[in-house]
Amino acid sequence: MVEPLRPAAGPLRVLDFGRTSPLRSQTLWHAIGYGVSAGAPATLSFTRPAAPYVCLGYHGALDEVDLEYCRAQGLPVLRRMVGGGTVYLDADQLFFQISLPAGAVPPARAQALRSLLGPVVTAFRSVGVPAALDGELEICVGDRKICGHGAGQIEDAVVVCGNLIERFDHERAARVLALAGPEQREQTVALMQRFVAATPVDAAAFQAAMVSAFADALGLRAVPGELTPTERTALADLDIRFSNDRWLAGPVRPLAGGGAGPRARRVKVRAGVWTLASRQDGAQVTASVVRGKVDRVRLRAGESDWPARQAELAVTGMPWGSVADVLARFGDPGRRLAAAFSAAGPETL
Amino acid sequence: MGEPELFTVGGFALALDRGYQPVTHMWVLARGRRRVRVGMDALGVETSGSLAQLSFAPAGTGLTAGQPFGQLEAAKFVGPLVSPISGVVLVVNDAVVTDAGLVQRDPYGAGWMIEASLTDDGLTDDGLTDDGLAGEPLATASVELPDLLADPGEVTAWFAAKVADYRLKGLIAQ
Repeated sequence: MVEPLRPAAGPLRVLDFGRTSPLRSQTLWHAIGYGVSAGAPATLSFTRPAAPYVCLGYHGALDEVDLEYCRAQGLPVLRRMVGGGTVYLDADQLFFQISLPAGAVPPARAQALRSLLGPVVTAFRSVGVPAALDGELEICVGDRKICGHGAGQIEDAVVVCGNLIERFDHERAARVLALAGPEQREQTVALMQRFVAATPVDAAAFQAAMVSAFADALGLRAVPGELTPTERTALADLDIRFSNDRWLAGPVRPLAGGGAGPRARRVKVRAGVWTLASRQDGAQVTASVVRGKVDRVRLRAGESDWPARQAELAVTGMPWGSVADVLARFGDPGRRLAAAFSAAGPETL
Repeated sequence: MGEPELFTVGGFALALDRGYQPVTHMWVLARGRRRVRVGMDALGVETSGSLAQLSFAPAGTGLTAGQPFGQLEAAKFVGPLVSPISGVVLVVNDAVVTDAGLVQRDPYGAGWMIEASLTDDGLTDDGLTDDGLAGEPLATASVELPDLLADPGEVTAWFAAKVADYRLKGLIAQ
């Protein structure tokens, strides 16, 4: 059951910022969040970054990004106030944001997200994309994710943002990430190509469909609008905040296990699909996990006579929770590899 | 401090040794004179969805009741954790920052979020150490928290009504 969005007062304000700088492609809609919190009407906004950049979710670790590569390529790195992973954005993606008073959405987060993503699915379908919202709240065609999204509360406003992906540079989206090595990079690109798809529809038609779908869902009349004075003030503040290294560093996080023990690098491609690279006492594992099972794995035990291929075959296709037990049958190297696997944490994070 | 005694109300666990902020589902447990532990009740956890990340204001940060003391991310949704008390953060539970799922697995025990000292008229209490009152009901721990439900009967009735309301609205499973 999807709880309907409660009607908010006033019209549905529509703001189309067109092409904006990377910084403004973030700060504009965050400013709207503050504006809606202060009483501005529910707002649907659109922006397209004029240049590529990288953006971390609120809780994303900065060391997930290959900062050296980004600097060399002139790619700005920003942090947003809403959730989700580290993403690569460019001019081939049209971004939308729906901002509502918090009281207009269901109090349970998953329900709120389902309610707010419903009109997005309607809009995709209106332009001929057979999109569906899956059980993990991803907008998909089949098992391929076609829309990245994030959500958050900015003071008393709830904001959900997402994108229409007209073309997607899978290689570059993986290249901006700091990964454990070429094996993990190759596996990450392969999963992105398999599970993330572009939908090259007419962007103007999609935009019109979004306006119509959200106006219907909210029971509001869509009208073009402009930023309020509060939002212009917030925008100036956000431009400064988002350019600040301290903001970019993100929330303070303790090191897992106090910094001791194996460290795992885990990259989520879409819900239920991720890669892992981890090492423990000279043993290394690189793996792809799809829907709770090991889809592909590369094991290195640091011992030339250890039956790596046999172990890889034994683990491939196994449920994530059984991998450590299977590897434990392969002697001490297997136990070290099992520990490396375990360092990635549970199947769902 | 031992494991809290848990009761089941409407299918959800509930501890009756602490106070609850009824809007935000945050609980407050006395840990000493004017020192409290703060966490989220099982119903608040359930409606948050699968917790992915938590972050808190660091130790030494002032707290104002009704204002955020941290952020919770679930289903890519980042939202504020609203403080049920005014005071100062003393300790952050790093275990839940590292493993947010701990809050889901043990919301009234190991899944606590922060410890704080309570302020009185804006002044911070100097007695920050545990003085043996830990775990005592709020009513006997010299802690006055006017906006919290602390009476076990009131807490149980409020919690049961919330479960029923959320079920009616489809926010939690039947």
